[in-house]
Amino acid sequence: MDARRERFEAQALPHLDAAYRFALGLTRSRADADDLLQDAMLRAYRAIETLRGDNPRSWLLTIVRNCYFSARASARARAIAPWPEGTDEDPLESLVEPSPNPEATSVQEEQQRAVGRSLSRLSLEHREVLILREIEELSYREIAAVTQLPIGTVMSRLTRARAAFRAQWLADQSEEGA
Amino acid sequence: MSCSEALRTQACFDGQLDALSAAAVERHVEGCVECQTLLQDLAQTREQVRRDLGHVRAPTDVRERILMGLAPAPKVRRALWRSSAFWIGVGSGIGCALASALVAVVLLAPWYEGLPLDALVTDHVDSLLPGHLTAVESTDRHTVKPWFAGRADVSPLVEDFAQEGYLLIGGRVDYLENQRAAVLVYRHGQHIINVFALRAQPVAPRHDTTRSGYHIACWRAGDLQYCAVSDAGWDELHGLARLVRERAARDASPQTPER
Repeated sequence: MDARRERFEAQALPHLDAAYRFALGLTRSRADADDLLQDAMLRAYRAIETLRGDNPRSWLLTIVRNCYFSARASARARAIAPWPEGTDEDPLESLVEPSPNPEATSVQEEQQRAVGRSLSRLSLEHREVLILREIEELSYREIAAVTQLPIGTVMSRLTRARAAFRAQWLADQSEEGA
Repeated sequence: MSCSEALRTQACFDGQLDALSAAAVERHVEGCVECQTLLQDLAQTREQVRRDLGHVRAPTDVRERILMGLAPAPKVRRALWRSSAFWIGVGSGIGCALASALVAVVLLAPWYEGLPLDALVTDHVDSLLPGHLTAVESTDRHTVKPWFAGRADVSPLVEDFAQEGYLLIGGRVDYLENQRAAVLVYRHGQHIINVFALRAQPVAPRHDTTRSGYHIACWRAGDLQYCAVSDAGWDELHGLARLVRERAARDASPQTPER
């Protein structure tokens, strides 16, 4: 009898799709989302006893987010050494943030296929609150818990994220029409 | 364009208001063109965001790989053998393993001249959280060693050095990059020492180093790469490293009769 596994399958596994969507929204790449999801689910499994209360979905999404940021931090740390001197460009940023340089184009295209064009062009801060609210339908309180922000900040960030998405979407529409 | 009630209108749209406040907002919206437009925009935005990502599900192969990566529960495993999904999982698991091995060779080779040192430290720190340290708790190498079979990618030397001051308290398996590393957990005085065993990389590994204040001692034994991580001092870490090395050398030598 493996109580840990039973608990994991009963409480964490039902939210795998939500975790995957969130991972996609954060990374904007299927390959990275796969890795992130695997990392997060293993951590969730190992930390299942830290799940208290009746909100396993928020708990799992918090783990996904933490894993994303710690992976990003260690990727950044690794990237520091081999990066040639004399440039202040962050190698990770050029991968993650859409940039007009041609090398990034294929990465960008892959990102767009993975999550949809307008969403992929938003900043990380905006993507995460939008996904948590519009897709996963978390309450303000739950979003505040996952992102570790005060509720007031969640509300104002959500307003800005929606405006940014809408502006991006309208721009993309007219670009398509052109 | 923004009405002073916009934030409340948004909260109402999001279902975050109690019935009384929601009714007040609805009354306000009736007479406020800006908030009427806002509500339409909000609804349209929601629809578009959902179109971008809402119907995505986790791929089956990822789900299977996650389930297979967990320490298997015997009861569940029996049930799994009978299901066709399991065999699909096995197939895709092998495919994925091959694919990730390829990726590992192609992508990781350049920086693997070092080791995932930050990951080691993160893992060590994580392991100190309550309940994370060991998956199998035993001071008996005959319990710990077989526990790794089928769980970790390597079969490390498992030995209790209690007489020398390093008490084996158990083991666990951690994902480090693309490997399921075997981790042996020792207690030395007040210190916990995690000894990670991974498949050695062809490039010569970096040796001792310190990250975030934690010492990392690295050495090789045969085709295994060992890394001991702890907040203990260098002398203590090297003491354990020496013991493991000596014992491994003795194990590897066919002339030596079994202890």
